[in-house]
Amino acid sequence: MTLLRLNNITRRFPLGSPLYGPRKYLVAVDGVSLDVEMGRTTGIVGESGCGKSTTGRIALGLEPPDSGGVLFQGLPLPRIDSKKWRAQRRQMQLVFQDTLAALDRRMTVSALVAEPLAIHGIGDTASRKECVAELLHGVGLGEDHGMLYPHQLSGGQRQRVVLARALAPKPSLLVCDEPVSALDVSVQAQIVDLLMDVQQELGLGLLFISHDLRVVRHVSDRIVVMYLGRVVEQGRADAIIDQPAHPYTQALVSAMPRLPGGFDHYVALPGEPPSPTDRPCGCPFHPRCPLARDVCRQSLPELLPLGPERQVACHLVRH
Amino acid sequence: MLHKSFQNSAGAALLPAHGIGASATKPAISIAGLRVAFGDVPVLHGVDLAVNKGEALGIVGESGCGKSVTWRAVLGLLPKSAKIGGEARIGDLDLVGARQSVLDRVRGGRIAMIFQDPASALNPVHRIGAQITEALRLHRGLSGAAARAEACRLLDQVGIAAAASRLNAYPHELSGGQNQRVMIAIALAGRPELLIADEPTTALDATVQAQILLLLKDIQRDTGMALVMISHDLAAVAAVCDRACVMYAGQIVETAPKHTLLTAPEHPYTCDLIGAIPPSHGPRMRLTAIAGAPPQRNLPPGCAYAPRCRHAIAVCRTSRPEPRQVAARHSVRCLRLDAGTYQ
Repeated sequence: MTLLRLNNITRRFPLGSPLYGPRKYLVAVDGVSLDVEMGRTTGIVGESGCGKSTTGRIALGLEPPDSGGVLFQGLPLPRIDSKKWRAQRRQMQLVFQDTLAALDRRMTVSALVAEPLAIHGIGDTASRKECVAELLHGVGLGEDHGMLYPHQLSGGQRQRVVLARALAPKPSLLVCDEPVSALDVSVQAQIVDLLMDVQQELGLGLLFISHDLRVVRHVSDRIVVMYLGRVVEQGRADAIIDQPAHPYTQALVSAMPRLPGGFDHYVALPGEPPSPTDRPCGCPFHPRCPLARDVCRQSLPELLPLGPERQVACHLVRH
Repeated sequence: MLHKSFQNSAGAALLPAHGIGASATKPAISIAGLRVAFGDVPVLHGVDLAVNKGEALGIVGESGCGKSVTWRAVLGLLPKSAKIGGEARIGDLDLVGARQSVLDRVRGGRIAMIFQDPASALNPVHRIGAQITEALRLHRGLSGAAARAEACRLLDQVGIAAAASRLNAYPHELSGGQNQRVMIAIALAGRPELLIADEPTTALDATVQAQILLLLKDIQRDTGMALVMISHDLAAVAAVCDRACVMYAGQIVETAPKHTLLTAPEHPYTCDLIGAIPPSHGPRMRLTAIAGAPPQRNLPPGCAYAPRCRHAIAVCRTSRPEPRQVAARHSVRCLRLDAGTYQ
């Protein structure tokens, strides 16, 4: 069942002053469509400035799209600040990268985890206490951790607290924005394992945003590859990594250092992602693409199906 | 102690001042019993390490394991409150406790270092040309047109297109990857025997990370300098280095040639670290998460890794392991290895 559907989402941010000359825009997200299934994980991967975080914020309703719609459980998101919106928030939660910024440093861990329960009016004081203990246990923290403040915890423990707090109102959708990027490899593995356990147990739909292709491959059922605000390729995780079709995905996969070989399959990709304020015309990837032809410089490729469950936006791929 | 060979003209060959020729047997730097403590908190517990000339060595470990502190201590970059013991010899010179004037000539000259965030390592109010020629003036005695020509050649060497016009750019006009290339150019300006790269690509995007890592490897191969790459990412080290050390809680726990370390690791921590990395191909299995966290202040009485180790036995909790040579160039600090039973 489709839990979340983004339909042709576009989001632009105005740049500079409106007084002088025609207004310029930073196009953060341009015509993105994706689905998150119940109990499944959709991963978004891309380099900085590709619009992956903005897509996540739009999915949660934290950012209104300029055009296109967000359907959650088949219904459009309610207007922000309406009563219905409040109730809906219980269903969708967010896990951030920077845990020290996400947690109020003057609140203890138990107070932090209990807060969403109080806000949504779930249970009474006694049952909340029980619920907090259960949640902390569920993410692998002891009861004594409840007395501590965020700065007294390690990065991995703080991410567990953020996760416990996100799970408190029993959501059905969890958006994870770079949840393990700030953590050490061994701790990263703990959190990734924990996320996957929690998902299996509660049947959550996950939207997992990360720049790390290895982690995204590991957790996701489907992968969406973004470049400069557009989806360049999406499909089943194995298919995307093992047989990438878009030249950008191919470069991204080859630039992932492997064990034990390092860059044995490296395909050189010149340059760096351009700024989203100054997008090239035609296919946004053409200035870096080793295969670019005239058609790539002139027209924008559409996202077209390539076999079952797979879509690619490239003029040179035979659909 | 500016070497004559440092003052060659701009067009001279790319070889470092100390070629690999006659003194190939002597290591580029040898560190022995290096200890560092901040106040009462010891962070390095005796690091012994030699980097051979022309070698690319990777140092891997989690945050707080002392991988950066080791090299900052060697170069005298730690705050005054740090207590440093042991020695770090480059040629006949011991850098630990050396005078500032001596260190000033070594840093950026015989040993250069690049850092994680190029944007904060470069001076934002100076053009990059000026920042490169400053290094050329200090360490090679070049000035004027010669310095500018050499700066241009260095930028070209690190793969910046239209190098001559880029000399006039400010750091904010360049992208993150280009800034890191400029940092590498500045590091190369002094023709170092040893380049220390401290997490050089952590702040960069995936495709740019690959570019910079391969650039470092190419430069190391072309110039014959020694390279030490500090990284938390074993796969990145695998891409660049010939040999790697794994550090845990202020000690080196395993040193081996890259291939041995990645395919036949002996120390349980190295095995766990490799198991914690999501594989890039093949079936997706559960990751081996390492329980707990590294020791914060004081080491446990036995092996530092014993509290998290799945193979620990009683003796691991009471006595400290010493490094043991298990094969040529492969040493491991583990007590169970002595018993020869854990795998």
